[in-house]
Amino acid sequence: MGAKEWKIGKLELRLDVVWSIAVNSLKLRFTRSVLTVLTITTSTAFMMYLLTMARTGDETETQSWYLMMILALVVSAAGVLNTMLMSVTQRYREIGTMKCLGALDSFVLLSVLLEAAILGLLGAMIGVVAGLLISVLLAIADFGPHFLSHLELGGVIFKILVVFLVGMALTTFGASVPAWIASKMPPMDAMRGEK
Amino acid sequence: MSTDTRHATPDTAAAGGSIDWFGHLADQVDFTVMTKNVCKIYHMGDEDIHALRDVSVTIRTGEYISIMGPSGSGKTTLFNAIGGLMKPTSGSVFIDEIDVAQLDANELAWLRCRKIGYIFQSYNIVKVMTALENVTLPMLFGGVPPDEAQDRAVAILGRVGLGDRILHTPKELSGGQQQRVAIARAFANKPAIILADEPTANLDLHTGEEINQLMKDMNREEGVTVICSTHDHRMLDMSDRIVWMRDGRVEKIADRSDVEIEIDTIEEK
Repeated sequence: MGAKEWKIGKLELRLDVVWSIAVNSLKLRFTRSVLTVLTITTSTAFMMYLLTMARTGDETETQSWYLMMILALVVSAAGVLNTMLMSVTQRYREIGTMKCLGALDSFVLLSVLLEAAILGLLGAMIGVVAGLLISVLLAIADFGPHFLSHLELGGVIFKILVVFLVGMALTTFGASVPAWIASKMPPMDAMRGEK
Repeated sequence: MSTDTRHATPDTAAAGGSIDWFGHLADQVDFTVMTKNVCKIYHMGDEDIHALRDVSVTIRTGEYISIMGPSGSGKTTLFNAIGGLMKPTSGSVFIDEIDVAQLDANELAWLRCRKIGYIFQSYNIVKVMTALENVTLPMLFGGVPPDEAQDRAVAILGRVGLGDRILHTPKELSGGQQQRVAIARAFANKPAIILADEPTANLDLHTGEEINQLMKDMNREEGVTVICSTHDHRMLDMSDRIVWMRDGRVEKIADRSDVEIEIDTIEEK
C-alpha cells in the first residue's frame, strides 16, 4: 500500500494578493468606481458643509439640516451597497474560480471590503475638502475675509475627523453585506458552464 | 477531530461498505481517489433529485480516466464531490487516504489549492489578469513567494506552448490558448489530481484533440492523476480507463483496449 507522504495543511491569508485583487477590480470597473467615489464625496461634502457652515442659531432649522444630513448619508450608503452588490454578482464565476484555486472565504471577504474602503477613503477625502471649501467660501462671501479669524482650528480639525470617519464607516457598512455574500459563494458554481 | 480518523486507511473505509466494481483489488492498488457509496440528493421543491446513487469508484495514481455520460448523468456532481466542493448526502470520498468529509473549510481550501487542479469547460480564466498572473494566482494562494511563483509560471506557460503570450489577457487569446492557460494554472501547484470537466466541449475537434494530448503528456510527465469528463467519444483515445455514468450511477467501466471495439460499434450504427 503506497502511503502518501503528505498531510493536510492550512492556508494563510495573503494580504498582498488581497490588495492586488481589489485594485485590479477597481481599475477594471473604473467608471463605476468614479461614480461611487462621487456618491460618497457628495454626502460627506454635504455633511462637512452642514457642520462648518455659518449658522443662524435657529433650533428647528438646525434640526432639519441634521435630518437632511442623515438622509444624505443613508442614500449614499445604499449607493455603495448597490454598487458593490453589482460588482460581486458580476464576478460570480471569477470568485468561484478563485475559490477553486484556493482562495479562502476571508480572502474574498477582505478583497471586497478593501475595494470599498479604497473608494470610501478617496470619496471621504475629496468630500471633506470640498465641503470645507464650500462653507468657508460662502462664509467669506457673506461676512467678508475677516470671518476667517473667528475660525476655531481645533473644532474644524475635529469635524474633519468625524466626517472622514463617518464616510469610511458608511462605505464599509454598505459593502459588508455584498462582501459577506461573495465570501459565502459556493465554489462549485464556477464548474457550471454559463452563469 | 483527531488525525487518526482523517487518515483512514482504505481497509477501514472498505469495512462495512459494499464491494465496488474494483472488488477486492481496491485494498491493494495504489489509489489517489476512492469514493465509497457516494449519494447526493438535491431537494427541488417537493421533489428529490438523486444526482448520485451509490457511486463507488477507485482511481489509481497516475491514471488518465475519462468519465462519459449525457448531461444530467451526475458527472459534474461526482467532480464536485471529489474536488471537495460539495458534501455528499451519504458515503465518503477519499483523496489519497484523507477523508474529505472530515476537513474544515480552511483545510478544504488547502486541498483545492495544493492537491487538486481544476480545468473548466468555459476556461474560467480571470479576465482582468494576464496569462502569467492567472497561473501565478494559485501559487500565491498556496504560499509560494511571488518571485518563485512567477518563475514557475513562466516555465509552465512555456511548457503548454504559450511562452510568447505570457502577458496576454484572455480576450487576446483564442479558446484553445485560454484552455492552455487553464491547464498551466491547474498544474501550477503540482497537484495530485487534475479534475477536467468537459475541457474540450467549447473547442473544435482539432483544438480539442490538442488540448487532450497536452493533458495526456502532462499526465505522463508529472505522474498526475487526470480525471476528465466528456461526452465526445472521439476524446476517449487518450484514457487508460473509461467510466460510463447514467442517471447518477456508474453504468460501466472499461479499459481503453476494450473500448475501442465499442467505439467502432457506436460508429457503425
